[in-house]
Amino acid sequence: MMYFDEALRVLLANKLRSLLTITGLIIGVGAVIAIQVLGASMAGAVNGALGALADNSFVIFPNSRQRDASKASIRLSDLAAIQQSVPGILSARPLGISSQLVRAGHVLARFSVSPEGAPPFSNLPIVYGRNLNADDVAGATNVCVLSNDAYLKLFPGGGDPTGQSLYAGSHRYVVIGVLAAPKRGFLNLQFSGAITIPWTTFVHDYVVGQNIFGAGFLVADASRIPQTEIAVQNKLRDLHGGKDLQYQTADKAKFTQGVGGIFNALTLIVGLIGAVSLLVAGIGIMNIMLVSVAERTREIGVRKAIGARGGQILWQFFIEALLLCSTGCAIGLAIGLGLGAFINDVFIIKLTGTVVPIPWLQATGIAIAFAVVVTLAFGTYPAYRASSLDPIEALRYE
Amino acid sequence: MNNQNAIELRDIKKTYKNGALEVPVLHGINASVAHGEYVAIMGPSGSGKSTLMNLIGCLDRATSGTYILDGVDVSSLNDNELAEIRLKKLGFVFQGFNLLARTDAIKNVALPLFYAGIPQRKRNDAALAVLEQVGLADRAKHKPNELSGGQQQRVAIARALINDPAVLLADEPTGNLDTKTSDDILALFNKLYENGRTIIMVTHDEEVARHAKRIIRLRDGLIVSDGPSGA
Ligand SMILES: Nc1ncnc2c1ncn2[C@@H]1O[C@H](COP(=O)(O)OP(=O)(O)O)[C@@H](O)[C@H]1O
Ligand SMILES: [Mg+2]
Repeated sequence: MMYFDEALRVLLANKLRSLLTITGLIIGVGAVIAIQVLGASMAGAVNGALGALADNSFVIFPNSRQRDASKASIRLSDLAAIQQSVPGILSARPLGISSQLVRAGHVLARFSVSPEGAPPFSNLPIVYGRNLNADDVAGATNVCVLSNDAYLKLFPGGGDPTGQSLYAGSHRYVVIGVLAAPKRGFLNLQFSGAITIPWTTFVHDYVVGQNIFGAGFLVADASRIPQTEIAVQNKLRDLHGGKDLQYQTADKAKFTQGVGGIFNALTLIVGLIGAVSLLVAGIGIMNIMLVSVAERTREIGVRKAIGARGGQILWQFFIEALLLCSTGCAIGLAIGLGLGAFINDVFIIKLTGTVVPIPWLQATGIAIAFAVVVTLAFGTYPAYRASSLDPIEALRYE
Repeated sequence: MNNQNAIELRDIKKTYKNGALEVPVLHGINASVAHGEYVAIMGPSGSGKSTLMNLIGCLDRATSGTYILDGVDVSSLNDNELAEIRLKKLGFVFQGFNLLARTDAIKNVALPLFYAGIPQRKRNDAALAVLEQVGLADRAKHKPNELSGGQQQRVAIARALINDPAVLLADEPTGNLDTKTSDDILALFNKLYENGRTIIMVTHDEEVARHAKRIIRLRDGLIVSDGPSGA
């Protein structure tokens, strides 16, 4: 391909100039692609970190900074009342956590014990035994399910621990199941402790009085969580006789949206920076192409004199612009992917344990699109200028 | 085709228009050049030699008159058609050689074939054959800055010949060369002439013009004499 060879020769003859010309393009494309890669891995990480929480669950707490904090406190009896009056709620349970010295065999360690319902709020898979079931909850049985961490510490010998007993303080629980290890990380919300027991058992063993820390609900329809949250808040205000009582809710969708919102703002800013730098880069490329056309006016005259058509001259300069832009975009792509992969590796994967594939294809597509658009937008006019030179004028040019 | 003239100019007039200003340069040129002729165009500076050469070379169009090149009326062709004519029927040799820098001899010579859409292998073979004709086959891979002036001009002549043009046009081809090298180039032209090539050369140098077989003298846009050079 001769146009290509010639364009390559011209660009290599002015290496420094070519490189400086495409710097803006490299930065612009690199930034856009790095953010693209990060976007994909952030989204994946948020999903992974919250993956252990059921989509159709939400939790509610009284706002601790309010005048009638004690009046707002959620009571055990509220759970049944809410479940009866708010439609769409499958199950309700108290939230809580109790730190206990736990003994299994000769191993002694401090762990948190927390309540869980049936079906469970955590959707971590089971590796040994089974999850808590409705009978455990109804009967307030002395059974427990271990987190993977707790299992590894308490049963260093490994093997299936189900059927064995452990002691938390003065309480004895029979191990009925072990959960898989969660994807760990800074986004991993710990809604359950190391050792989970039926919430009824938890109330019996650790809750003094009627007040509970908060409540968790499973709903039939995850898409109706926002409305259900409001209904539950209103019901609590009703039950506690205070119109101004404040309750906070949290659910997976809300959290994902929060992180997504921050990320969208970041994308917009970087996108704008990328767009501006591409515009500047494009103008720089156009400028250099015009200089190149002017410098080679005589050459263009010669080419026309020996029979080159205008279209062939146009094509030659167009290929040159395309080569310049593609080189810039290719380097930008490499840098963007490298940077994105590095940040992904060091922060996202290390901190969250979530491995999100790098969107190579999408990034390459973006880079190609940029190369084509910038070439068309800024390379066409110089190429046209070259093609429409009058051969006699061009030959006379010094 | 060979019973026609290579070039026929009938009442060719050229007036340059710069906005409202009209500069009449050629006032009615009538001439014909047969195939195989070797013609020098002479005349004082400003007499219209280059203007005429540009018309013959299909780089420009006459204001009026008819120009028939190798049997084709090129008077009213558009830009692309003229480019095609330049590619297929004409070969240019310039005073300043006008080779592409940083491009080796063989690529320079092959350039017209590229614009004709000939594949690379054929281009190279053909270019090498023509370089052989001008005695530079051993310099095929040399770039212009690695060649002497005379060698560069021979590369340029090879480039002009590669499409086997009906007419070889040369505007002051020895203007940038010393006497010895000029003689080499003129000897080459003579050899081409003897092999049947049609050559038209512009020069202001009587010595050079005497190598041609026929001299057309211009003055103020008109032919004042046209006859054998006596060579
Ligand atoms: N593009 C142009 N516009 C106006 N006048 C021109 C142009 N080109 C040449 N001329 C004029 O035409 C006349 C002939 O020029 P030219 O053909 O270059 O003569 P020569 O080559 O014999 O010296 C000169 O007077 C010159 O000024
Ligand atoms: Mg002149």
